[in-house]
Amino acid sequence: MRPLLEVRGLTKLFGRGCEHCLPGGVAPEEGNRCGWCGTVVGCGGVSLEIHPGDVLGVVGESGSGKSTLVRLIHFEIEATAGEIYLNNGEETGPRENLLQQSSFRQRQVRNRHMGIVYQNPYLGLRLSVSSGGNIAEKLLAAGWRNVSRIRERAAFLLERTEIPIERMDEPPANFSGGMQQRVQIAKALSNSPQVLLLDEVTTGLDLSVQARVLDLIRNLQRELAIAMIVVSHDLGVIRLLSQRTLVMRHGRVVESGLTDQILEDPQHGYTQLLVSSQL
Amino acid sequence: MNLREWIDIRRSNGRRNGLDYNFAFLDDVSKREIRRKILKAVAIPGYQVPFGSRELPIARGWGTGGLQITLSIVLPEDILKVIDQGCDGSVNAVNIKRFVNAVTGVRVTTDTGEATLVQTRHRIPEEPMTDRQILVFQVPYPEALREVEPSERVTRRMHAEADYSRMWLFLYEDIVKFDEITIGYRYPVTVNGRYIMDPSPIPRWDIPRLHMADTLFLFGAGREKRIYAIPPHTPVVPLEFEDYRFRVEDFKGRVCGRCGAADTYLDEVIDDVSGRRLYFCSDTGHCDKRCRP
Repeated sequence: MRPLLEVRGLTKLFGRGCEHCLPGGVAPEEGNRCGWCGTVVGCGGVSLEIHPGDVLGVVGESGSGKSTLVRLIHFEIEATAGEIYLNNGEETGPRENLLQQSSFRQRQVRNRHMGIVYQNPYLGLRLSVSSGGNIAEKLLAAGWRNVSRIRERAAFLLERTEIPIERMDEPPANFSGGMQQRVQIAKALSNSPQVLLLDEVTTGLDLSVQARVLDLIRNLQRELAIAMIVVSHDLGVIRLLSQRTLVMRHGRVVESGLTDQILEDPQHGYTQLLVSSQL
Repeated sequence: MNLREWIDIRRSNGRRNGLDYNFAFLDDVSKREIRRKILKAVAIPGYQVPFGSRELPIARGWGTGGLQITLSIVLPEDILKVIDQGCDGSVNAVNIKRFVNAVTGVRVTTDTGEATLVQTRHRIPEEPMTDRQILVFQVPYPEALREVEPSERVTRRMHAEADYSRMWLFLYEDIVKFDEITIGYRYPVTVNGRYIMDPSPIPRWDIPRLHMADTLFLFGAGREKRIYAIPPHTPVVPLEFEDYRFRVEDFKGRVCGRCGAADTYLDEVIDDVSGRRLYFCSDTGHCDKRCRP
């Protein structure tokens, strides 16, 4: 069976590069910045696969390229090299490396098949537009043109994410951080995505709210069987949500495997450090 | 008189009077550039083509975009009509008409049927126009997406990728707040199923007449330096939802107080003396024609 999402050798270099660090940026043992030209490796040759309903965790310290990876997959920043394939059964003709498609095509794929939840609600939401409108935007982008059906769908999603429906026409600016995050999740789910990207969703929320958001994500994942990439620096979140995990450092994957295995029996020195620094 | 003769006569007269300008004021290089941009605009319906807006003896924002198009395509045998919100007699219309007449010698008219070239500010003449005519619009804000996105760079990307969800969201929010789409004029339209276009501040009344028309529509924004076009027989569809349809203005039960027309776009005028509301055709040329025996 072919994986739903395939990423091969995904690379992002910030800077022009020079003969000392190219191709693919500086060597992993030298860190992530070339001492000659200052080129930083945001993401160095990352490969991964996700099957339908899979949850993949990405863990690493801040600056390790986790968010860069997610944004590359969401086509928000242009990759330096690599391949991304989406095998969702809709493709016709030869496989297309999505990174080489036009931004129009990338936008289409993103609008129809992907959802993203950011750490900061203001990145994923228009805080001055009503919550229902935020969800509507995604549906409108996917071609919905019936207001009452859009509102039904928005109300359904807000109900699922435990936002009172009578506050549907209020802007998220009026909401608390946890509620904003839940509106963001509702928005990301609006087009029934096949791949959901979660970028540090619980960071900055207090513990009880964190638990509710994680519960919500876990329930939705079980019910809807969405494939997810969960990015977090918090091993607890990774342990709770994901079956498989990548450990990143300096923009590169240093270890990957089953989550339990990685947490119980870390092989790489950095992973050992990470696991042992848990409070 | 053909163009060659006109130029010869004007050249000699002009030299004598110290007024040695080109036919239609603009120099030939400028006219050629603007014509090229018009051709491009016609080839990509609804796409805003940047052009080098020239200095004219009227200020930017007073119809210089429309005027430059008119001056670039006008021929000595043309018959020109200029209207300002339907009115042939307003200062702006009269000045532009006189100016074009002075620099080209073309005949001017107030009769839409007779005109071959019509320049307009914010109205489409009531009388149906034919494939032998061209309608030139003066456009203050050519960017339909400016309402939702202030950055030109971003709006260009949005047009390139047909990323119009924010425009639709704007309409959605309008419906959520007011239970209807409240855009009164400058109603955004989709041209040829591709670009969202600003039809210039014409009332909604005129929007359906852009659809599959026989006439070539040219839009010029002099201050914003953009030209765009709707070629004849092009689908032009206002943005609307399946359950919230586009509507034109409703003048039910009202007729023009002068000609009695019940099927035209009416202006509301308040009588200074009695304080009564009166309604008159906004298209004065059409109204005049109906009043004639």
